Amino acid sequence: MSKVLMTGSEAAALGAKLANIEVLSYYPITPAFPAMERLSKYIDDGELNCGFIRAESDHSALAAVLGASLAGARSYTVTNSQGLLLMTEVVYHAAGLRQPIVMAVANRAISAPHSRFPEQGDAVSQGASGWIQLFCENNQEVLDSTIQAFRIAEELRTPVMVNYEGYIQSHTSEEVEIPAADKVTKFLPLKRMAALDVKNPQGVNTVTSPDFYMDYKYRQNEAMEKALTFIPEVTQAYNTEFGRDSIGNLETYKMEDAEHVIVAMGSIVSTVRQFVDAQRQQGKKIGLVKLKTWRPFPGQELYAVLKNAKFITVLDKNIVFGVGGALATDIKAAFYGNSDMVINGFIIGLGGAKSGIEQIKQAVESTESSEQRNSTLWIGM
Amino acid sequence: MNVKINLDQLPKEELFGQGNVGCKGCGGAIAGRQAMKVLGERTIITIPASCMATLGGNNRHTTWKIPFYHTLFECAPAISSGIRAALEAQGIKDVNVVSWGGDAGSADIGFQSLTGAAERNEDLFHVCYDNEMYMNTGGQTSSQTPYSALTTNCTVNGKKTNKKNMLKIMEAHDIGYVACASIAYPADLMAKFKKASSRKGFSYIHVLAPCFKGWGIPSDQTVEFARKAVESGLWELFEVEDGVRTRNYEPKLIPVKEYLTPQKRFSKITAQEIEDLQQQVNTRYGKVGK
Ligand SMILES: Cc1ncc(C[n+]2csc(CCOP(=O)(O)OP(=O)(O)O)c2C)c(N)n1
Repeated sequence: MSKVLMTGSEAAALGAKLANIEVLSYYPITPAFPAMERLSKYIDDGELNCGFIRAESDHSALAAVLGASLAGARSYTVTNSQGLLLMTEVVYHAAGLRQPIVMAVANRAISAPHSRFPEQGDAVSQGASGWIQLFCENNQEVLDSTIQAFRIAEELRTPVMVNYEGYIQSHTSEEVEIPAADKVTKFLPLKRMAALDVKNPQGVNTVTSPDFYMDYKYRQNEAMEKALTFIPEVTQAYNTEFGRDSIGNLETYKMEDAEHVIVAMGSIVSTVRQFVDAQRQQGKKIGLVKLKTWRPFPGQELYAVLKNAKFITVLDKNIVFGVGGALATDIKAAFYGNSDMVINGFIIGLGGAKSGIEQIKQAVESTESSEQRNSTLWIGM
Repeated sequence: MNVKINLDQLPKEELFGQGNVGCKGCGGAIAGRQAMKVLGERTIITIPASCMATLGGNNRHTTWKIPFYHTLFECAPAISSGIRAALEAQGIKDVNVVSWGGDAGSADIGFQSLTGAAERNEDLFHVCYDNEMYMNTGGQTSSQTPYSALTTNCTVNGKKTNKKNMLKIMEAHDIGYVACASIAYPADLMAKFKKASSRKGFSYIHVLAPCFKGWGIPSDQTVEFARKAVESGLWELFEVEDGVRTRNYEPKLIPVKEYLTPQKRFSKITAQEIEDLQQQVNTRYGKVGK
């Protein structure tokens, strides 16, 4: 394996290239566009043999990719924020049709007010859509997760979003180990399943009666639940094949005797690691749980690693208005009736607002000192 | 290109229509049946939300004997673009890729993806089956509703703006083939489908497919009114092939009144409006007087 310095955008594009995608479509948006341009360049330079549909909108981009998938091609797209919101109708539809599309999302704040900066609110808005959602901490994880995503999607017939944050990841270079192309091809054997096939004509998305509809939804959810065990299997297989150490649904860090645990996902996890290291040096019993799989939500797995904590600080780079941070809300729901620890959710870093060591420290201190239990607090106001 | 359709020699097999749940006398379904006589089984059709999409199948039944996909409302041409790309990736050739929308699914909410696919000159063709209303949601006004027609959300004096000219708009894309047809002229309609399917690149066919419910005519008169629209000169059968415009049929030019006044949707049209329409037709066909 060779190590190369690359941005998150480049890692996403390279992952899709190594996965030998056959059809690509996208509609330009910041900060996802460098990944798009990189893919187009691969195609233009003859390094990637892939059909490209220059869509006239984000909605059409996902629609085109969906059409391609239904006709049996391995398909990929990239977007974020407004693009993802415009796609929403197709996002749900593609999941309902059980198409194994992989989509990179360079997470960015949602308008209004206008902001082009990082935040996870765009992905969170699709949390009920039926897409598996993986959140990457670093660019290595972007590359690894993109490759794994195709295997997960195609096995479970469920689309996968690979999230990495705008700018912090999309425009920042890190060292990334690149797996050998032929090995990736072997890791991702193409098992075609064309719903639209002239040799086997079928009606797709016919008008469905209530009993059938309910049955479809049950099966769709069943596949999602299966993903909780399947994702770790795929990462395990990937690690064996490529000698890597990618994680399954979550990772625990310095958790041995931890009384206080920070839970987070995405790029902020790296900052939390530094914070935890520093606190540990001062003798504080603090640890970190990094969530990679947000959808499906690994509630039981989280509970198993968090059940002995006294304090839990959940960092959310998103806000579900009138409810709180999405991750904190899900954790509280998963722990219902099972614990009496303090779980405080913090809204942090919206629209690119500071989410450094100082802000994390404020959150942690607030959880330990606060009169409020199980509440939502805003950091950096 | 000259294509002649001999109605006696069409295949007996019905690739669309048997067991469909459309209304009896549905103009859209008639268009579908005619089209499939020439498109054949190596065809993949996408149909956005519309009557034609919902009548295409339910649960595990489908009236299509070809791959049929009931798509979201806005994006059938984009979906079909993806299908074509997937077929190419797999080396699958000689398949007609068709998107088939109602007037809303083509000219209104569906217009963005239509113009996108046309501009990219995707190797597929789009059909607008035009019943001049949103029938699947009960008959509201569309951009294709003609001047002075009543609809379920324009109930007093009828629509007071013109029908958007989709054929001109699609012609302006400088695509290879644009055609206008009517279900009352099946040989002409089929010839146009045949041409579109044998060409590379993007084609557009606009088909008049009356809805007896929306128009307020007896259900056994669908075809008759699709004929009167043409014979009155209000609906012109023509095509533009590689920039060359041809009128495919010279109408008898019956008075436009004979087409308009029997339809309940035109019950509020004024004598002056009828006169104006007659004058427009006269000008178009170079006719003097009435
Ligand atoms: C995004 C979205 N908005 C609205 C609808 C509701 N809807 C379904 S079909 C339809 C009208 C279709 O009209 P048209 O394309 O003219 O076809 P017709 O039913 O008249 O044959 C509408 C408004 C929808 N399915 N999706």
